[in-house]
Amino acid sequence: MNIETNHHIESPKEKQNRHKAMEAIKLLNTLREDFKAPIESMEYFYDLFERVHCKHESLHDDKTKIGTMCIQIPSEIIYALDGIPIRLCNGFYTDDEIGSDFMPQKACPLIKATVGHFASGNFSDKPDIVFSPTTCDQKTKAGSTIESFGYKFIDVDFPRTKESEASREYWRRSVKQFALELSKFQGKKLTKNNLKDTIKKIGYAQSLYNKLSDFRKNEIVPILGLDVFLITNAFFFDKIDNWIEATQKLINELEIRAKEKISVTGKSSPRIIYTGSPPIFPNYKIPQIIEESDGIIVADETCSSNRMFNDMVAVDEWNIYDMMDSISDKYLKACTCPIFTKNEDRIRRVVQLVKEYKADGVIYQAFAGCTVYEMEQRSVLEAMEKEGIPILYLESDYSPSQGGQLSTRVEAFIESLKTRRRNKK
Amino acid sequence: MKNKIRNFINNGDLRKVRFWIQLASFVLFVYGGYLAINFGSSFPVFTCPYNEDVSATCYLISLQHQLALPTKILFSPAFIPIFIGLLTFLAWFIVLNKAWCGYMCPFGTLQDWITALRKKIGIRFGIYTRDQFEKLSKIKYVFLVIVLLFPLLMGAGVISNNWSATFCQMCPARVISPMFTGDFSQWTIDFSSKTNMVLTALGVSFASLFFVGSFIKKRFFCFFCPMSALHYIFANTSIARFKKDGSKCTRCGDCYAVCDMQIKDIADDVVSTNILRDDCILCLKCVAACPEDDALHFDILNIKVFSSTREGFEKRMNVGLNMKNDGEIDK
Repeated sequence: MNIETNHHIESPKEKQNRHKAMEAIKLLNTLREDFKAPIESMEYFYDLFERVHCKHESLHDDKTKIGTMCIQIPSEIIYALDGIPIRLCNGFYTDDEIGSDFMPQKACPLIKATVGHFASGNFSDKPDIVFSPTTCDQKTKAGSTIESFGYKFIDVDFPRTKESEASREYWRRSVKQFALELSKFQGKKLTKNNLKDTIKKIGYAQSLYNKLSDFRKNEIVPILGLDVFLITNAFFFDKIDNWIEATQKLINELEIRAKEKISVTGKSSPRIIYTGSPPIFPNYKIPQIIEESDGIIVADETCSSNRMFNDMVAVDEWNIYDMMDSISDKYLKACTCPIFTKNEDRIRRVVQLVKEYKADGVIYQAFAGCTVYEMEQRSVLEAMEKEGIPILYLESDYSPSQGGQLSTRVEAFIESLKTRRRNKK
Repeated sequence: MKNKIRNFINNGDLRKVRFWIQLASFVLFVYGGYLAINFGSSFPVFTCPYNEDVSATCYLISLQHQLALPTKILFSPAFIPIFIGLLTFLAWFIVLNKAWCGYMCPFGTLQDWITALRKKIGIRFGIYTRDQFEKLSKIKYVFLVIVLLFPLLMGAGVISNNWSATFCQMCPARVISPMFTGDFSQWTIDFSSKTNMVLTALGVSFASLFFVGSFIKKRFFCFFCPMSALHYIFANTSIARFKKDGSKCTRCGDCYAVCDMQIKDIADDVVSTNILRDDCILCLKCVAACPEDDALHFDILNIKVFSSTREGFEKRMNVGLNMKNDGEIDK
């Protein structure tokens, strides 16, 4: 054996891949093995993430990939124009560290990780063009940094108030502009039938998600919140038809589980609504702590999950401009992103979720550095207090340390919810 | 059983149901005279007696005639029949509230048919900007004042008899309704006096505008209808209510997208429980297009008769798991 020829110095790219694969597989193994009554059909999703993040397989080799920076870029339009939407919000600590060189020290880890990912240029599916709605300050400003790395990066004007009629019109115009730019980029015309088909396609995915959520309303919860986050995160980049098929299969399995009363929780696990900064694979730190501490996440109010799927598009007549307007309104008016000036909608939504999913408490996570979620904490906590809903506010980041302190707080909160429930009885 | 009926209704195809109800009521009210049906003279929709075969008389024409009585008589016991007229109007009205507009009014139905024609040709409908909407939406109150004020002035002797039934002379329904039975004689200008000439000229122009307008804009005339304004004044007396549960609303705007009358509150107002607005015609298209369970509902005597449900939404929009086929029927 010749040792010298086998000697190999790891390139930065290889190192990044190795670290990311480690992050990914650690979580996937936990999901596969550490919880009771695993769901067979989840294997598709575990495998998908393993393929993409550990083996760095490309899913959309032959297609134009349209990067999006937030949920407000309508996938309906991207699909109608023959593109594949890839949501680039990133959850890797490895990328967060790379991004730290380009962002202020106290910036949001999600944005640092996203910028880091772009800086490395190391994508399994590299976006051909990126559209970024001007949502929060950090994402908006990160755009020019990302552009400086040599990406085709286009801002899509997004208003910060949503009550006024002006903002509705403004956003409708922005979406039209976006469709025009993309249409030019793709050299393809947006037609009535294409758009209608993709509204139906996305609608089908939404409908599946809602069906999936219905199972979580049951007293016996047949699926972990962690698994649902994984499913919804897969929608960021998966082939939509595969996603639909896999989710359909999963729902069939859940139906059987619901009949057989198979539970993934303990007997008295408190039901949690999760809200705040989005858990994005593999940063499932807080959800993992919750579900390892005998809590069960029954629903969430985050942009990486519920907010992507909940609201479906309706039109009166299937004209292209009416479809566009209805799509636009959904992405603005129903959005509960904390960047908006006022955000009573978000509070109403959380309260409604607590009622609908019969939750015992709410856990609100904000990334340290995500100013808007940090700021909104006050009003949400106040509102929950008024409603008599217990809530825990946590700040976290992507670092693998810090776990001990967080789990102590979460465990204490969950214990208190259990006591509360006992006392109620 | 109760749940079965409820699901059946909530999953129903509102468009079809509405089409048949509208067709039936159109025939009944417009041609009912042939069968000697008579619903009286205080009817809360535009059943115009200038067409002699209608089976009911629009309350506005009766009201104008009654208010035009000489002032002295108006404040005598003769007041009682007028009062009874109003009560009869209310008796009809409270049953359906503004759903009279969305389901019963032949004039409204006619506009929906013109809309269907436009849709078939594949031309897109027009919309008002918010500013235009706010201004235009007030016109119906101006018409209502005309309905009420001019007969009183006539009764008081301030203006001449040429002003008799002022609004009717201007009303497009007077010109158009007789056409249903082949009578085109109202498409003329009455030159008997200056007043009549101006008023009937307005009537003929409004009638022409009606056809152009309702081809472009859904329910074009309803924005201006004084009957709609009168309805709204009494809306709270009705047993039929249109309610919204704001806590369930995500403001996705689907209801607003399908609203013929462009009522913004339906999507944006999450505080009011009573969501009936003055322009509303209670067609309930918004309820049918709302994907949130029970966020919008139409109640009669506080019983939810028709509620928004996700399942119903998916069936009607033909999307998602409750899709009927591959989405081809809803062109």
